[in-house]
Amino acid sequence: MKQVLAYALAVLVVFGAWALLSYSLARAKGRPILPYPWEAAVAAGENAETLLSAFGFSALRFLVALALSFFLGLPVGLAVGFEEKLDAFISPLVYLLYPMPPVALLLFLYLAFGLGEVVRLVVVVMALFFQVVVAAQGAAKFIAPTHIVAVRSTGASRWQVYWHVVIPATLPNVLTAARVSVGLGITMLYIAETKLGILLPPGQGLGRFIEYYTFRADIALAGVVALAILGLLFYVILEVLERQLCRWKYVGVKGAGS
Amino acid sequence: MIEVQNISIVYGKGSEAVPALENIAFTVGEGEMVALVGPSGCGKTSLLLAIDGLLRPTSGQVLIGGEEVRGVRRDVALILQDAGLLPWKTVRQNAELALRIQKRREGVDGILSALGLNGFERRFPAELSEGMRRRVGIARALALRPRVLLMDEPMANLDSLTRERIQSLILDLWWEMRFTAVLVTHDIEEAVFLGQRIVVLSSRPARIREVLENPGMGEHEYRGSPEFLERAKRLRRILEGNG
Repeated sequence: MKQVLAYALAVLVVFGAWALLSYSLARAKGRPILPYPWEAAVAAGENAETLLSAFGFSALRFLVALALSFFLGLPVGLAVGFEEKLDAFISPLVYLLYPMPPVALLLFLYLAFGLGEVVRLVVVVMALFFQVVVAAQGAAKFIAPTHIVAVRSTGASRWQVYWHVVIPATLPNVLTAARVSVGLGITMLYIAETKLGILLPPGQGLGRFIEYYTFRADIALAGVVALAILGLLFYVILEVLERQLCRWKYVGVKGAGS
Repeated sequence: MIEVQNISIVYGKGSEAVPALENIAFTVGEGEMVALVGPSGCGKTSLLLAIDGLLRPTSGQVLIGGEEVRGVRRDVALILQDAGLLPWKTVRQNAELALRIQKRREGVDGILSALGLNGFERRFPAELSEGMRRRVGIARALALRPRVLLMDEPMANLDSLTRERIQSLILDLWWEMRFTAVLVTHDIEEAVFLGQRIVVLSSRPARIREVLENPGMGEHEYRGSPEFLERAKRLRRILEGNG
């Protein structure tokens, strides 16, 4: 209950600050710059159908990209972090490619994949993939040797070592990294849906929605808020997922006998 | 049952080579419990891992039941220092781990209740006391009903009451399950309480300094008896280097 109240208060503060900013900007410049929250709200209501559809498309796109990034990045990161031989060869490669911004490659991505759905996923996956790889690799390096010995001494196969130790041991860190990367992912999604989304109607992605209504500041701003909510949604989902899957991380010493 | 034949282990190669064990040889008969004692860091754990098949000796070999140990054997169980429990598994999942990895279907209820762990099956290791964690580690090994039990300082870093309680527990389980056991320890009284024979190792590189017979071992009352104290005193003298 306290938490709900805290969140309600936070929302009020954000909207209050927003209104104040709109007011100050309008006063300073002598003309409206940033629409007021209620103006954006009215615009959102009037375009509810398009906005919801755009939100749905963006959410689905992000979900698919996030899942693909995990699916591809987790095995690579864990293997590189856990198998010393792979580490020596692949780590330099990862470190070279990791800081490369996919945005800078948009032209080539467009030439390679066209302007369809594939290229938009590729941009987001390229950014998130390396986040997952680097997080998984880092976590896999710090697995306690005694956990490995415990499992290997029972005759576990390599796959069983991964299943019983490597994956559960690294999961909390990987999920945290994914959560932190949501911001980056949403940015990439926006770029994918604008620069590579010019053929889309406004109802097929929040990035496209925002760009489509460039000259209707109130509607565009409603789209920005929707994008922020999308990011928050995934942040919360990943946090809940972490709490559920890594329950052992959150148990304290209670009721222990001797 | 276990024959350790002239095992040497060297870590590293060339000029950086560090010998850990030198020419260790001893045997453990069927159903016997032997204690390996030596100063900290002398290579006792390496020796145990070699017997378990997790570490290949540089020279020499280990036979179990007449067969050379070339990898992990399913009839051999290992209890690790600090239990080595997986923090993401509950007590029950930890106890079942070895069975599940070996795709065996037996349950662990019996062993859990024998070790006083029922009611705690759904707890995570972080919710248990240190003594309980060690018992879960013992449960995991014994759930396999092993012929050979290898123990790497299972009572290290426990308060003295808990340590004695777990020592007595191991003694009871040994009587009941009749496994062949090797216990690594650096605790003198523990070695005398649990070792039918006590193999004393020197500091690094470990060699066998002496093998002490300990025929009185086997009863709870042995602890604290004049004979027990005499053995402990003698073992201490050997460890201090004036045997």
